[in-house]
Amino acid sequence: MKLAAANPDLSKFLVIGALLFIIGVAGVLTRRNIIVIFMSIELILNAANLNFIAFSRYLHETGNVNAVAGQIFTVFVIVVAAAEAAIGLGIVIALYRNKETIWVDEIDLLKW
Amino acid sequence: MTLSGYEAVFFWIFGLAAIFAGLLTVMARNAVHSALFLISSLVSVAALFVLARAEFIAGVQILVYVGGVMVLFLFVIMLVNVGAEERGSEEIFNNQRQVTASLIFCLLLVGGMLYSINTGYRGLQALNPATPEVLAAQQATRDQAHQPSATGSSRITRDAESVGNSLYRYASLPFEIASVLLLVAIIGSVMLARTLKQEASVDDVDPGNAD
Repeated sequence: MKLAAANPDLSKFLVIGALLFIIGVAGVLTRRNIIVIFMSIELILNAANLNFIAFSRYLHETGNVNAVAGQIFTVFVIVVAAAEAAIGLGIVIALYRNKETIWVDEIDLLKW
Repeated sequence: MTLSGYEAVFFWIFGLAAIFAGLLTVMARNAVHSALFLISSLVSVAALFVLARAEFIAGVQILVYVGGVMVLFLFVIMLVNVGAEERGSEEIFNNQRQVTASLIFCLLLVGGMLYSINTGYRGLQALNPATPEVLAAQQATRDQAHQPSATGSSRITRDAESVGNSLYRYASLPFEIASVLLLVAIIGSVMLARTLKQEASVDDVDPGNAD
């Protein structure tokens, strides 16, 4: 890939989105604190939003009629992320009240 | 969609800031530091949205995502005591084999994604071969076609107008379903966060007998 391109184009947006996604996946897989795992999930959703907006812009420039669909999709991804964060953090609070811990390797009640 | 001139400079600044802040989110020891780095990453991505001419979505991201979801995260971090982590006595990563396996997986994912973006983009560029200068000139004419604002210093884009047009006409059913989803999320989170005493007082059950 040509690293010397000074004019960022669609591919640069996609690369930034891909790197944010992978950093989020690494966070989900490696951290012990459940709240940081939730924050990594928000990073993943944000990277997907960046992809949608980049393609919406690209389609708008090449004259596609459905170019605004990317931004509509982004609105719904933000809505779903907010709802999921609320429920997830409610579960974390209920879990903390019962087990007094936030470390995922200590939450092993369902383990055989 | 080529950005040129000062827009390219801002793109690199905000893009690298988003990636760096995301990396620090995952690597910070303190959970509050992680939340603040995530806020920086979200604001940088909102700036990238503005560069991609999606100003309405940038505003929604800052208001809803940063101003709502991240504030909720900070409140929950305050409720859940993380004193041991701050003092440095707790381990913040999983055990070493898991971390190594996930890092190998993420490196493979990086390679695969960059390869696929590179290959796909070459095909896309073949369909639309135009030099960056031509595209920048086209973009400049499009920008000049917008109506100037009242003070004359900037232009009023039609991004919010087009998003509203499509959202309330062609996406009105998903819009209504999203509002029902939010209602369900509100009810669910209120129910999940109740204490034992609050639940018992509603059902007229002795808290000692509640299971």
